[in-house]
Amino acid sequence: MKPSIYENSRDVFLDTVNAKDYIQLERISAIYDSLKDSIEKPLKMVLLYGKPGTGKSMFLSRLYQNLLPLQKVYLYSTPILDESEFFKTLAQDLYGIAYDGELNFTQFIKILENRELQDTAIPLILLDEAQLYSTAMMEKIRLLSDTRKVKFLIALHKTDKEDIIAKEHFQTRIWESIKLENSSNSELKIYIQKKLMKANCIDTASMFTQKSINLIHKLTDGNFRNANKLVYTLFDIYLYYANTNPSKITKGEVSTKYIEMAAIHTGLINA
Amino acid sequence: MLNVSELEFKHKKYKRSFYYRYLIIFSVVIIGLIPILLFTLFDEKVEIQTTKQQAIITPIIEEKNDSITQDSNSTLIIVEENISKKEKIIPIIETKEIEDNSSILEEKRVLLTPSLSFIDRIESSNTQHITNVISDIKEVEVENIEPIIEEVKPKEQIIVNNKIESIEKTLPRIEDKKTSINIERKDEESDIADVIKRFNINHNPALSLFIAKKYYQLGNYEQAYNYALMTNDLNNNIEGSWIIFSKSLVKMNKKELAIETLKKYISYSNSSQAKQLLDEITSGKFK
Repeated sequence: MKPSIYENSRDVFLDTVNAKDYIQLERISAIYDSLKDSIEKPLKMVLLYGKPGTGKSMFLSRLYQNLLPLQKVYLYSTPILDESEFFKTLAQDLYGIAYDGELNFTQFIKILENRELQDTAIPLILLDEAQLYSTAMMEKIRLLSDTRKVKFLIALHKTDKEDIIAKEHFQTRIWESIKLENSSNSELKIYIQKKLMKANCIDTASMFTQKSINLIHKLTDGNFRNANKLVYTLFDIYLYYANTNPSKITKGEVSTKYIEMAAIHTGLINA
Repeated sequence: MLNVSELEFKHKKYKRSFYYRYLIIFSVVIIGLIPILLFTLFDEKVEIQTTKQQAIITPIIEEKNDSITQDSNSTLIIVEENISKKEKIIPIIETKEIEDNSSILEEKRVLLTPSLSFIDRIESSNTQHITNVISDIKEVEVENIEPIIEEVKPKEQIIVNNKIESIEKTLPRIEDKKTSINIERKDEESDIADVIKRFNINHNPALSLFIAKKYYQLGNYEQAYNYALMTNDLNNNIEGSWIIFSKSLVKMNKKELAIETLKKYISYSNSSQAKQLLDEITSGKFK
């Protein structure tokens, strides 16, 4: 196998959030459809949560790409922690009003109340990494959703803060609560192979037998981010041997030794 | 850029520790299983042994309680009557209060070594045969002799009290009578029974020799043989016991064994009486 094949295969697993790289998995698709249905309903808020690396950002990115041609939707991948900046960005996105000075919550509420929606569909704000917003800010977001002039889809890590949001202030406002979990063995196999096949790396995709997938799943606990990191390093190792000592590469199946080496490098194995 | 050579080294280290871990777990499991296995296999055996120990200990404790309940005077009387009993009961009474149960049990085990059951067996069954013979007899390879007694009682240092001395004094008189008087047969049996009782209490070789001689006279050669053997067991330097023993053997049609036994005895004692008997047996005078 040419070194370039390993290089291409490796780059497939770069940890980036790109809706084009989204891999359709059966379970995730069901969740996605359910979420899409919820958004179409007169909801106030939707909560999307899960451990880091379970695909929340990718999920939001995919949703954003799909909804963009249909309705007003805005994705805030990075939290806007400054309150004035947050409201100014909202005013700009929702009504096209640019504010030079400070814009506080009271002023923004007044704008919301005075403005009539141009479309029938309520604009949707996708807030990623929402666990980084302060509790006070989250309270204000809740009050904004109460005006029914804007909807929020909040994605956050499963933390204590998330529990507060879910159980106390936001409990009655949250229309839908969706939890993303790590993948199963079979899902991980589909995920890796589909990713490779999408990049026309069919030879390397066929190298992943159930045995090697089981080992990767065991090491990564089915976490997509960890799996990406591991497989990326794995192909990096293959690339090294392809360039320096090709005889060390056993064809047809991913070497357990190389998987373990990649796991040591990524810190999944403490050696 | 990956440092693959370093990764390979780390991987080797990881695999080593991985296998060591499994090896340790395996070893621990094996070590853990062995005692369980042994316990399971020998559990039954241990139970049997424990039951045996309990059976042995219980009567001893009962016996001990009996002796404790007696007042000091009565204990002393017992001591006078029975030398061996005196030696054993007194230490129990003295140590009872200070020793715990385990030490009592240990002591009890020591107390059990003299085979009183052996005596009882002889008392109850006169027809029982001896299996173990004294060391000298063993050397002569007494293989053809039927087993009569199951165990040989260890030699004890017997403290002779006045009573026993008086018994001993009576023996020569009886022996004197032996040659001159034919005692009435009816009285003979009861006399022997009395002597046997006394012998069972103090294990005096003079008594057992007397019994052996009496049985020989009565024609009960098996019993004569038995008591001669017991005498020999208690004291193997008594000439009379060897003579009776050999004579009994001849009477029991074990002439060759009798000759061998006498030769063995003559070789280290140079007994003239034994020589004479040997000559008589070999020449056929003694049948």
